[in-house]
Amino acid sequence: MNLAIRDVRRHLARFVGTAAGVGLLLSVVIAMQGIYAGMVDDATILTRAMRADVWIVQRETRGPFAESSRLDPSVEARAAAVPGVRSARPYTYQLIQREHRGAVMRIALVGLGWPDDSGRSLPLVRGRQLAQPHGEMIADASMGLGIGETFVLAGEPYRVVGLTRNALTSGGDSVAFLTAADTQLVAFDQPSEATVLERQRVLERLRRTEIGRSQPSLEDLPTDPRWRAPALASPPVAAVLLEVDPHRLAEVRETLRRWGDVTAYTQEEEEALLLGGVVQRARMQIGLFTIILTLTAAVIVMMVMYNLTLEKTHDLAVLKLMGAPRSRLLGMILQQAWLLGLIGYAVAFAISEFAFPLFPRRVLITPAISLMAPVATMLVVTLASLLGLSQVMRIDPARALEG
Amino acid sequence: MTDAVRALNLTKIYGTGSATVTALDNVSLTIARGTVAALLGPSGSGKSTLIKALGFVSPADKGEVFFEGRSVVKDGVPLEDLSRLRRRHLGFVFQKANLTSFLSARENVEIACEFGGKTDGRRRARELLRYLDVGNREDSYPEMLSGGEQQRVAIARALANEPSLILADEPTAALDSVRSRTVMELFRTVAHERGAAVLVVTHDHRALDVFDVLYEMEDGRIRPAQPA
Repeated sequence: MNLAIRDVRRHLARFVGTAAGVGLLLSVVIAMQGIYAGMVDDATILTRAMRADVWIVQRETRGPFAESSRLDPSVEARAAAVPGVRSARPYTYQLIQREHRGAVMRIALVGLGWPDDSGRSLPLVRGRQLAQPHGEMIADASMGLGIGETFVLAGEPYRVVGLTRNALTSGGDSVAFLTAADTQLVAFDQPSEATVLERQRVLERLRRTEIGRSQPSLEDLPTDPRWRAPALASPPVAAVLLEVDPHRLAEVRETLRRWGDVTAYTQEEEEALLLGGVVQRARMQIGLFTIILTLTAAVIVMMVMYNLTLEKTHDLAVLKLMGAPRSRLLGMILQQAWLLGLIGYAVAFAISEFAFPLFPRRVLITPAISLMAPVATMLVVTLASLLGLSQVMRIDPARALEG
Repeated sequence: MTDAVRALNLTKIYGTGSATVTALDNVSLTIARGTVAALLGPSGSGKSTLIKALGFVSPADKGEVFFEGRSVVKDGVPLEDLSRLRRRHLGFVFQKANLTSFLSARENVEIACEFGGKTDGRRRARELLRYLDVGNREDSYPEMLSGGEQQRVAIARALANEPSLILADEPTAALDSVRSRTVMELFRTVAHERGAAVLVVTHDHRALDVFDVLYEMEDGRIRPAQPA
């Protein structure tokens, strides 16, 4: 006769309720681990998707994700001419916040080096790559846009032609891919009101000077579009991505090291910068929080098991008096702990399947988490039952005789 | 008739220094199989301490207990696996039925059979419950049974392993006089029909005619008693 099952059967609703509570707790622990894994994955997915061998950024910066990086666009042509470089393409990266269908969206705009890069390396789940230099966009599915839908940026409509999945920044924001030229249009877009105000300020400054008062024709200059021509020089890019002959990587890096205006990182170094810098604090924070949460869950399960045992003290004393082998009573507590763990894990698993996809941040349940979560759960409930087991050992059968 | 249990010069002292209480003072007692004996005495006279010593739950400090002729505990030191001895050869009945709350009436008896190594526990449990006239309540949980029914199930549980010795500590304290007498008569039937030795601690003097032997305890000492 299985005493553990008999006891659970008698108090089924309460036991299942307790197990569901443990399950909710476990789901939070799993969610924290999933968010941690998601953060690490998000941090590297963007760099990996670009499939670059070398990232050239502004000298002595750790850009473009860790900090701002501004490179003269001529670096692209210079880098392409370095022996061993197969191709060079510009890369821009900027975070914007826009309202769409009444919802505020934070989006990272990544510029692709059209026409060499039309997004062929991106993990498209629907649609196609960019097919023209202007007005098209590849969006992440998390933005909630459909193929063919338009999204207005800098006053111009961009049509969604392709969809990616899980192309997110380390901060969990969705990524949209445009041509680099389009992202620069967005970055340097100036509203017409700002242009008018700027002209007004120039005129006022001019009128306060001697030269302005003596040559009134100068007042026509601010309204002449050609007057602003010097300001329309090619805008900088955030980075230049290189595809390099694998046998000549060291040679290319040595060449770039001698350039005074740039710093070059390999793909691995760029990932390390992201993980070691951008998300390091968040990783540590979540990692520590996960440890505390796991310990909290263990203590709560321990107290639950202890209380379940305590409630049965008299029954256990009677069974001891009847000569119940110690192994039967210890086995009863242990089996109940395992059952609690199993039901709890099943609840946590169900929550992870149905609720985690609704979380605002990506919760990535890696194979390691899938494997470790049930093992850790069973280990925790086993350890947590130790207090209950020691209580069973301490029960004096004479207590049964005390009425 | 062979002796089921024999206690020789049992002494048990609680406390230390000047605050000592002698619960058992050189107590000797023999109960043969097929005998139903009553243990009378006021509260604090040492009855429960004697039951614990004879049930191998809390041994006396000094003295020796023989079970079916073998020395089992000597001067507080167990000479055998007492837990094993309890589950195979002893039956307990308490003031309250003390049934395991999460087991049905049948399961309460069946688990005792299982502890005693019986393979046909379910059949035997049903048989015992029928014998004690509670066969129709076998699937009921303790809380669904009346006090009398619970006590019958407890007796069935005590009989599960055909024990040589049944120890009952005020088993009728919670019952009315009619049910008390019925339970006491059950003990006599069990002792006479099944050959068990039964020792019943009781305050109830109305059913003393049921017992074969009477003992009385006072201040830790035991002596034979006469029916009033």
